[in-house]
Amino acid sequence: MTQNNFLTKALNDTVMSRRSFLKWSAAIGGTAALAGGVDFGLKAIEGAAAAGEEQTLTVGCYHNCGGRCILATKVKDGTILRIVPDPTPVEDETPEVPRAIPCVRGRSQIRRVYAPDRLKYPMKRVGKRGEGKFERISWEEALDTIANEMKRIKDTYGNEAFYFNYAWGVTWTGPDGSSIIQRLLSMFGGYVGYYGTYSEAAYGVAMPYITGGYAGNSADDVVNSKLVLLLGDNSLVTRSGGDNGGYWYMKAAQNGTKFIVVDPILTDTVAATQGEWVPINPGTDVALIAAMAYVMVKENLYDKEFMATHTAGFDEATLPEGAPRNSSYMAYLMGKGYDKVEKTPEWAAAITGIPAERIANLAREIASVKPCAIIQCWGPQRRAYGEQFVRAVPILAAMTGNFGISGGNTGQLPGGGYCPMGGIPVPPNPVQVSIPCFMWPDFVTRGTEMTVEKDYIRGASTGWSANAGDTTTTQANKDLRLKSNMKFMWNHGGNCIINQHANVNYTRQVLEDDSKLEMIVTVEVGNTPSTLYSDIILPGTTGFEADNIITGEGHGIKGNHAWALFNHKVIEPMFEAKDDVWIAEQLADRLGFGEEFRDGHTTREDWLREMVAGAQASIPDFPSLEEFKEKGYFKLPGGKPFVAFEAFRADPEANPLGTATGKIEIYSPVLANLKNEEIPPIPSYIPEWEGVSDPLREKYPLLMMTTHFIARSHSTFENVDILREAHPQCLWINSLDAEARGIKNGDMVKVYNDRGIVHIPAYVTNRVRPGTTNMPQGAHFTPNADGVDIRGCGNTLTNYRPTPMAKGFTAHTNLVQVEKL
Amino acid sequence: MAKQLAFYVDLNKCSGCKACQIACKDKSNLPVGVRWRRVFQYEGGEWINQNGQMIPSNVYAYSVSSACMHCAKPICMEVCPTSAISKRDDGIVLINADICIGCRYCSWACPYGAPQFNEELNVMTKCDMCHDLVDKGERPACVESCPYRAMDFGPLNELQAKYGTFADPAPLPDSNITEPAVVYKPNKVTKSSGNANGRLMNLEEL
Amino acid sequence: MDTREWALLAFTILGQTAAGLMIVLMIVRTYIAAKAGNDLADRLTNRPLYIVVPVMAVAFIASLFHLGSPLHIVRAVPNIGSSWLSREVVFAVIFMVFAALYTFLQWRKVGSLGLRIAIGWITVLLAAAYIYAMGMVYMITTQPAWNTIATPINFVIGSLLLGTLGMAAGLIAGGHKAEETNIVHTVLQALAIAAIVLLGIEFIVLPIFMAYLATQGGAALQSLNMMVGSYGVAFFFRLLLLFVGAGVLAAYLYRNASIAEKEKTLASLAYSAFALALVSEVLGRFIFYASHYRIGI
Repeated sequence: MTQNNFLTKALNDTVMSRRSFLKWSAAIGGTAALAGGVDFGLKAIEGAAAAGEEQTLTVGCYHNCGGRCILATKVKDGTILRIVPDPTPVEDETPEVPRAIPCVRGRSQIRRVYAPDRLKYPMKRVGKRGEGKFERISWEEALDTIANEMKRIKDTYGNEAFYFNYAWGVTWTGPDGSSIIQRLLSMFGGYVGYYGTYSEAAYGVAMPYITGGYAGNSADDVVNSKLVLLLGDNSLVTRSGGDNGGYWYMKAAQNGTKFIVVDPILTDTVAATQGEWVPINPGTDVALIAAMAYVMVKENLYDKEFMATHTAGFDEATLPEGAPRNSSYMAYLMGKGYDKVEKTPEWAAAITGIPAERIANLAREIASVKPCAIIQCWGPQRRAYGEQFVRAVPILAAMTGNFGISGGNTGQLPGGGYCPMGGIPVPPNPVQVSIPCFMWPDFVTRGTEMTVEKDYIRGASTGWSANAGDTTTTQANKDLRLKSNMKFMWNHGGNCIINQHANVNYTRQVLEDDSKLEMIVTVEVGNTPSTLYSDIILPGTTGFEADNIITGEGHGIKGNHAWALFNHKVIEPMFEAKDDVWIAEQLADRLGFGEEFRDGHTTREDWLREMVAGAQASIPDFPSLEEFKEKGYFKLPGGKPFVAFEAFRADPEANPLGTATGKIEIYSPVLANLKNEEIPPIPSYIPEWEGVSDPLREKYPLLMMTTHFIARSHSTFENVDILREAHPQCLWINSLDAEARGIKNGDMVKVYNDRGIVHIPAYVTNRVRPGTTNMPQGAHFTPNADGVDIRGCGNTLTNYRPTPMAKGFTAHTNLVQVEKL
Repeated sequence: MAKQLAFYVDLNKCSGCKACQIACKDKSNLPVGVRWRRVFQYEGGEWINQNGQMIPSNVYAYSVSSACMHCAKPICMEVCPTSAISKRDDGIVLINADICIGCRYCSWACPYGAPQFNEELNVMTKCDMCHDLVDKGERPACVESCPYRAMDFGPLNELQAKYGTFADPAPLPDSNITEPAVVYKPNKVTKSSGNANGRLMNLEEL
Repeated sequence: MDTREWALLAFTILGQTAAGLMIVLMIVRTYIAAKAGNDLADRLTNRPLYIVVPVMAVAFIASLFHLGSPLHIVRAVPNIGSSWLSREVVFAVIFMVFAALYTFLQWRKVGSLGLRIAIGWITVLLAAAYIYAMGMVYMITTQPAWNTIATPINFVIGSLLLGTLGMAAGLIAGGHKAEETNIVHTVLQALAIAAIVLLGIEFIVLPIFMAYLATQGGAALQSLNMMVGSYGVAFFFRLLLLFVGAGVLAAYLYRNASIAEKEKTLASLAYSAFALALVSEVLGRFIFYASHYRIGI
């Protein structure tokens, strides 16, 4: 084989192995701007060493992938040797409760712990914000500075100047994570919270307006399906490994279930399930769904009885009271609706790029093969009009009679069981106002001008938006205002300040003016673009450096079973890293409410014991803390797969949904009241800005998505050298588009629009639709001297323009041009 | 037939995630640039214009995980000028780092690209089938790591009895060259060695 | 191509030159001895002989840069039973030892004439074995662009060509008395003819080899495309320089060697011919290493 320098282009890292990383960590610690001045790294590690036998201890793999896996860690003399899978004996594995074998990301965890860019000491910014100049300070100075700033800002601007930023680096874990900091900030007098997520804002907000809440069958139920229709679902990548969605899809495929996947990309999920690929133009799924519904109606292929008894607004007969004539979904399909266009397959073919005959055949197939699980994932709702997609998919599930049955699904994302544990109690937040999480830069620049009607600010929120689709409440609080712009931000294990937020170059501008947002505190384990924009950086512990308890994530997409894991402290904290509980306690002491904050919990173990007590309250079999720690995990036996809305299906009158009408609300009277063309009462196809039909394509002809990536959980793991080697960051581009630009596989290209420029290698493939490109999200924004990102951060090019209703991230709606470099 | 340990990969269960590669690197402390187990992405097909619409024509993709095949005819061992490469009684082919002079001749010869130069050690290295684990009755790290249980390990004749004898998925070379100790179970779209209508996609694995 | 392959390139080209020179030198020595006696034969061939061992030594030093662990070079011997690389190293070492011995004997006039001649011819046999092994190293079944009879032929022809033109240059550089002009010129003419014949063989083998690659497809075809594509310019210059050096200049050498008064012209012709052939061989070897495609992945 001849040499190629592709790798050297893709990797800008030093060759490094575990043998040498300790050396390197120390060396880099002595020189890099971020890592302070004094090199005492090796001493810290030697200090951790405790001579003894090799031990195997459980550690949880907790990142924001949507799954949870069990890492068994081999450790000796205070050093992690390697990771082995879920220690559950193979003979204890049952079909319902598979061993949670970690994915490619989880397998690389050791290199995250021992990464050369680990944050080693507390640091304070000394240059301009974002310039990257930091100085090492003591924990004493760091905590004093934060406490003093908190007091000053509270005195000057009040508690509504404080914001707890959206972040998922440490969440759904035991004492560490968001809760402990929210407890601190609440006791300090409150803070402005957020609602919604960067992941599923439109889903969380819009879904209640069709099914009254969000529920899908548990993921293990796909094994009972004859056919699975996935819309924008790439679970083999996003929820890879463990007992997460990807595992169950693969199992179903092995079992003979046929998969049809609607996606602009022939994803690993299409390939691995050996499914049928329906390559669709990005942002046009709602048109496809309408045309399929049209075919089912025309050919009399849908469950008329179910639609009559269980839905509202499918046709004129079931329209809720007060709805105007011809406002039903049927009227929309048949050309009698507001747009007077018949939703024929030919109409949809021109929009979606899928031939009309294929659309018709697809409709016939999903209408006739039973049971069929129709599943949407969150990618297609992270688009200009994501809410429409969210509400459209359940219509198909209802029409095909698959709603509320085993082997079918609700048109939503699958769910899964989880093990309830106690948690850190967070007192009620005295500040009763929250913002959509994606809108925080507006909170910085014009917070006091933000309104309920325009910006959808709300009363206090827990942050998780599943049950937060509360537009009626917001209508009742029309005069709600923020009393201050944001002056203080706590960023806890998050990279949404720069990297994971839209339009990096705009965000940089907002943050570089430190007269607006005066103080940013970030707790992190490794260097990120967000730490570079912080004022005080605190080095946190990884999961390997503190005892913890891990349960399945709240939105775990997995089988209908649950487990909890005792996460052992397997090594001493690296360098000066501290756990979150310690950090919060120290600040509480300085802010004058240390005792109240601890509330009798003198050790970390006290918190863990309380969590176990919480579990024992609902699960009598749950072992004592000591037994739990000894075994390392607790698994509940699996049951039959969960079937969402089974009772509603059986008797809709006795078991109504949480919608206004109690039915599947295809026509939503609440949304109708908003009288907003971008939030119509029935799920409608709205051509996107920067979408397939935007005239801007003359200048920027290529659609660009920024999908999740196998080598990262968002931007977590991005610093792991061997993952970047295994899965280099590339721009996916169709071979026809590449050929027209003289681009060959592996060539460096320039991707740009009015918002920024990225230099990145091209992956020239036929696995993506012509006209569509993909730059997987999460690569760390790394500008060169000209401000060009050279590491492939998709958000250099995305748009800070939220969805109409949820104010969610529109990460996948972008137009770009690509040139060979 | 003498005992010959072998790998098995079910291409129906491989998602191309490379958990096996990372598990291997974790187990054996491999630096960037040395990948004892590699996963090749292979694709074929094209986009055609049908009545003004672009549609994919036979576009397919699959992944092939491959490491040292511990061949019956190890060409690496044949060409090595030192006696660094040997074959154990159980068929595992090993490179002895104390003897290897790092001439890289074996990497020119092996059609699977298994022997790779380690810049830190200045010798050739390759998959050792986790023989330390195997000797303790355990299975190699990669086999244990697959979240989808696509891999298996054991005596070649037993694997062949269980899974068949296919050892030639494209882009791997013709198995007649070195008689690799491996069994692959093809999936619906798997092509055979020498297939002219597909491409190896992931350049990072070359 | 990385540095390690440059090391190989230097090792092979220098090794070929040394071995080729040794072979041609003994033939020339025999011829002169027959025509004008052993004393003159020794005197005319000793000067070129003195460079054989230093060239070989440099070749060995270069080869070390190819190795990851050069200090372990002695371990490259044991697998002589199956590895051509082992054999190449072994023959190279023995060849050098005998070349050194022969040089020493010639230099100090130690030992009988018969012994020296015998040692000289043994050295020639070792040189031939060394060159053959060098070519066989690349006969790897998984390297279709290498695994043809053209490879050992090329190594042998290349070696003889460098030896022939090197001998011509060495003969002139060594200087001679006026009364020896005739014999020297006759030898030069013979060497020129030999060079042209060797060139002819290369130019016959090459198109057959390329046509063969073209019919093989796969990795072989990729190699061919690389040769005439990415390295097309280098390939063209290799052929051009070879043609000019071993063809045109050799022809002029032949013509001018029949005229007694053209010593200076002869010298420039011989030096240039050797230099061009050397550069051409370097280019050829570069393409050889840079354009091979292994079967598989």
